[in-house]
Formats: sequence, structure tokens, C-alpha cells
Amino acid sequence: MSGVGARLRSIPTWQVTLFVALVALGFLIAAQLRSETPRVEYTSQERTPLIQTALSLQSEQKALQAQILDLRDRITTAETSSEGSDALVKQLNDALFQARLAAGLTALEGNGLVIQLQDAPQAAQAAGGEDLLVTGLDVRTVVEELWLAGAEAVAVNDERVVATTAILDIGGSLLVNSAYLAPPYQVKAVGPADMSAQLASSASWISFVASRAGPNGIQVSIAQPADLVVPAYAGTVTIRYAQPPASPAPSANP
Amino acid sequence: MRNPRSQIALAVVALLLGFLVVAQVRSQSSGTGLEQLSAQDLTLLVANLNTRNDQLRTQVADLGQQLASIDASQANGETSAGQLRDDLVRTRIWSGIDPAQGQGLRVVVRGPATVGVVEDLLNELRNAGAEAISIAGVRVVPATIAGGTPGALSVDNSLLGDPFEVDAIGNTATITGTLTRIGGLVAQELATNPGLAIEVTPADQVLVPGTTRDLVPHDAKPRL
Repeated sequence: MSGVGARLRSIPTWQVTLFVALVALGFLIAAQLRSETPRVEYTSQERTPLIQTALSLQSEQKALQAQILDLRDRITTAETSSEGSDALVKQLNDALFQARLAAGLTALEGNGLVIQLQDAPQAAQAAGGEDLLVTGLDVRTVVEELWLAGAEAVAVNDERVVATTAILDIGGSLLVNSAYLAPPYQVKAVGPADMSAQLASSASWISFVASRAGPNGIQVSIAQPADLVVPAYAGTVTIRYAQPPASPAPSANP
Repeated sequence: MRNPRSQIALAVVALLLGFLVVAQVRSQSSGTGLEQLSAQDLTLLVANLNTRNDQLRTQVADLGQQLASIDASQANGETSAGQLRDDLVRTRIWSGIDPAQGQGLRVVVRGPATVGVVEDLLNELRNAGAEAISIAGVRVVPATIAGGTPGALSVDNSLLGDPFEVDAIGNTATITGTLTRIGGLVAQELATNPGLAIEVTPADQVLVPGTTRDLVPHDAKPRL
């Protein structure tokens, strides 16, 4: 043993340094090759200004969403601190608070599940690779499974799913609430404590995972954080055509 | 390490290492996904983002006006009950709690419709800007899910007959055009589902009921 130790000590420092550097080099080359995107990359010239425009519009969208959330907060604060805080105003404020909760205009926190969907690593190399890419249908299926498991609020990459939410394919990516989302997709849900157990025992969820995930499919992973926040909907709540009926039918909810 | 050859070797390896670290960091951080879209998809995306941003700008302006109106009322010592009531009516209709009426369309589906047909139809109506939707008298809210097999479909545990109707309130021309355009959803569903018939009829007045679901969360808590 002492012979081996003496031999190791006799190796020049620069050789050890070079060895370590070469190991790191090999690791990085492997990581770089693995991270090569599995999707087709287009290279035509006319795409560059389109990408720049899309990036600029996305950035503008984020800023507008932040403004909307801020204005809603300020409106809520102004309404609840109304000078004429008589019984009617208080009653209306309470009802509005409940309506905003129901509409998805308030962020919710609690027991949660996060399901991540990611393209199969081998999507680029495989022929007919579409089955290896996450589609809008996959995301819609996961959202529905979470509702079935009892979720009270769901968001896809932080876009809250509300009554008007459409989930559409665009190229190999998605539009959710008309916001552009690229994979991986994280579907967050908050709800009852048994949501995870409900999901695990759902025949349709088991069937989805069996048919879409696995060695030859997309990657599906689940996390169960102790406390999860699903953000508020940050889009438009304008109604231009829907009005209360002339002689309103009795509402099912108070 | 006095050997010049070893110094050169180490320098080359260090250079490569630096280059790969930068490339790796850049590939991890710049994944917008846009580089994978075709020019056609990018054009569609830019159009979508433009439309969406226009809507968001309008919403910002509306909310700004609403806030200014509340502030003005409070400055005059008036009650904000009127604004609260307007906000409440709008929010309850938009969320699906209350019934709604307005221009839109009726879709009648006959034949062996699948769950996929129902879900595609709802998704397309939402994408076209429908403000309120119902299927066979059931108001569509976020957790509304279709289930079952052709001939025994259900929505929120309410059995769909054959035929069944989907009513939607929104800009009649826009939502009708989106569904019935060449290569649009109706054409696609008819091409892939033999025996299926889908009839789309614009309507001046459509009545959509309120939901029977309780939409207020009970386990999750509001984060204020």
C-alpha cells in the first residue's frame, strides 16, 4: 500500500491538474450533447425579426399582466376602504371577494401537486417524433385529471386555468390564455389533502401515464410540495356580449 | 510545471473547458423555445400575442378608469355601492356563477361524438373568445369535464343525448367563422369522425345558465 501511495505522490501536480480538467471536459461535452434540443431548429433568415418581435411582445405581455394584477389589488383596497362603509357596501364587498375567488382572480395557496411534462430525450433522433413531444392534449388531460382529483385551482406554467382558458398547440409549444409557453410544462394544482391519493387511484390517470410516459414516451414527474401557490389569473375579464338575462333565472349559487 | 508542452496542453484544455461552460450555461438559460418554431408558426404566434396584448391594454385602461372612478366617488364622500354592484355582476357572469344572455351561436352535434370532439369544441370556442358556454344546459366552468363513450357521453355527470346542443355567447361572426372556416374545427371533426354531423347556427340571443357547482375553494386559502 505504501508503494502505491509513494507512486501516487510521485505524480507531478500538473498531471493531476490536467487529469481533473480532462474529466471535467468530458463531463461537459456529454452534458452539452445531452442538452441539445430534441426539437427541429429552423434556420431561415426571415425568422430572426419574427423571433425578436415575439420576444418583445412577450415581454410587453408580462408587464401588462403585472399592471393588471396591481390595478386589481388597488381597486380591491379602494373598495374595501370605502368611506361609505355601510352595511350594503360591506355586503357587496364580501360578495365580490367570493366572486373573485370563484373566478380565479385571487391567488390560492395550500396542499399542492406539481406535475411536470417534458419531451422525451430521444425525440430528435426518433422517426415520427411527435409522440415523444408534449402536446396540448397531454396538458389538457393532466389539467382534467387534477380537476377530477379535487383540485380547486390549476395553473400551467403559472397561467391560471379559468373559464375562458384555451390550451392550443403552436409548433411544438403551447398557447395558454394566449400566452406562449415552452416546455417543460409544470401543471400546478392546490386542493384537498387527498388530491394525490385521488389522482393515484384514477383509472384514466393510470391509463394516460401508461400510454404516454415510459422509456418510449414523454417524461412525467410529480412533486408534492408542502405549500404551493397557484397565481391569480392576469388576463382580461371584460364581457362585451354576455349580459344578465332580462328576467334572470334564479342562480344556483348565492 | 516547467515543461512547455504540458503548459500548452493545460491551456488548450482550460480554453475548451471555458468555451463549453459558457455554451452549457447559455443553452440552459436561453431556452425560449421560439427557435424551434417555423416561420408560419412564428407569424401565428406574433398575431396571437398582438391580439392578446391589445386586450390586455384595454383591460389596463378599463381598470385604471374603474380605480379613478372609485377614488373620485370617495373624494366626494359618495358610496361606491354602484361600482361594486357593476363589478359583482360582471365577475359573477364571467366566472360562470350567474346565467347570461347575448349574441352568439348554437352548435348541434349528432352521431357518434367522442369525448375528444366535445373537448375540442369547448377549447375552440374559448379560443374564439366565447364569454359563456353551456353544453346541454350545463354551464361550462374550469372544472367541467366530458366523459363516457360515444352514445353515452356525459358532462359533469349529466348525460348528453343525441343530438346535444352547445350554446356560446360571444361575437357571433368571430366564433361562427372560427368553427366553420375551411380546415377549421368542424371540417376536421367531420373528416376524422365518420357518421358525425355538426350544425352551427348563429343566434341573436343565446341564454346560458349559471353553474350548479360551488366554485369557491374550501381547502386552498386565498393569498392576499
